Amino acid sequence: MSAETKKKGKIAVAHIYSSFNDTIVHVTDITGAETLAIYSGGMFVDADRLEGSPYAALKAAMAAARDLKRKGITQLVVKVRAPGGIKSRIPGPGATAAIRGLARSGLLLLRVEDVTPIPHDGCRKPHGRRGRRV
Amino acid sequence: MAIEIRVKIPRNRVGVLIGKRGATRRYLERVTGAKITVDSGSGEVTITFEEPPEDPLMPHKLQSVIQAIGRGFSPERAMKLLNDEYVLEIVDLRDYVGPSKNALQRIRGRLIGEGGRARTYIESRTGTDISIYGHTAAIIGRYYDIIPAKEAIVSLASGSRHSTAYRRMERKIAEMREREVLEQMMIMREARSRRRMKESGEEGEEWEEG
Repeated sequence: MSAETKKKGKIAVAHIYSSFNDTIVHVTDITGAETLAIYSGGMFVDADRLEGSPYAALKAAMAAARDLKRKGITQLVVKVRAPGGIKSRIPGPGATAAIRGLARSGLLLLRVEDVTPIPHDGCRKPHGRRGRRV
Repeated sequence: MAIEIRVKIPRNRVGVLIGKRGATRRYLERVTGAKITVDSGSGEVTITFEEPPEDPLMPHKLQSVIQAIGRGFSPERAMKLLNDEYVLEIVDLRDYVGPSKNALQRIRGRLIGEGGRARTYIESRTGTDISIYGHTAAIIGRYYDIIPAKEAIVSLASGSRHSTAYRRMERKIAEMREREVLEQMMIMREARSRRRMKESGEEGEEWEEG
């Protein structure tokens, strides 16, 4: 892979954390220890409840892509994550928008993975047997 | 770099995934560009993309389609998931009902309702598709439509009366609608201000294409 990659340019990992309330686009090098760009939906909208919207996610992704281009990165591995565990296992409304944003900014997405943490029988769901009593 | 994903589906659903003389599987392979191998003994399905797909989300979407078929949806309904806007939510009823087989059966009955009345009602109010199969309730729909449907299902599964569950669902529907309207308004407002900036000859935010 390395020879092929070298020809095309540098490779990085985009960690996209997407919940109902926010979308965070965090791009690191392949080790995951060095951050290259980090943007969240909340940096582009004013209302709290818009932080997780597809539009905010798109803007965050485009801002990240702009930084990456400056740093000479052309290829990305995307890792999408929902809150997971006992919380929602499906990525929020911003996830697809963020991925589209990265792709549309001219970055080559090598693969898109779902890395939502799935418990192997971990914690019990909250609210017990009788459910949430409201 | 080939992409390979494994999904496990119940053995009863293998036949549905493959279809008559392999028609369904062939159709899915054609529209997605993947190769789908099914181990009908264990129900293990392997999706392979030899070439990176044109749509980077395709592997994930195909995986959802297969999972949906595994959770009781017909292939026609499951294929809605090939659309970007639709997502699949799987609710494990055991989390709310406990381990008892009889209780599970009773709750399934409550979710479906007499002649499917409860399920149909939730589906039509939220614009989702719902399948209740084994120990799961699966929902296909747009993200903001799934939330109220899930609210109703969770509420029924943990013992609320139908009327209560519907009331909670309505509240969520209103909440989600408000969110969506707000989003639309913001997008429109931004577009307007960008246009105005362009007209006055100022440099707006850069929206360079790659």
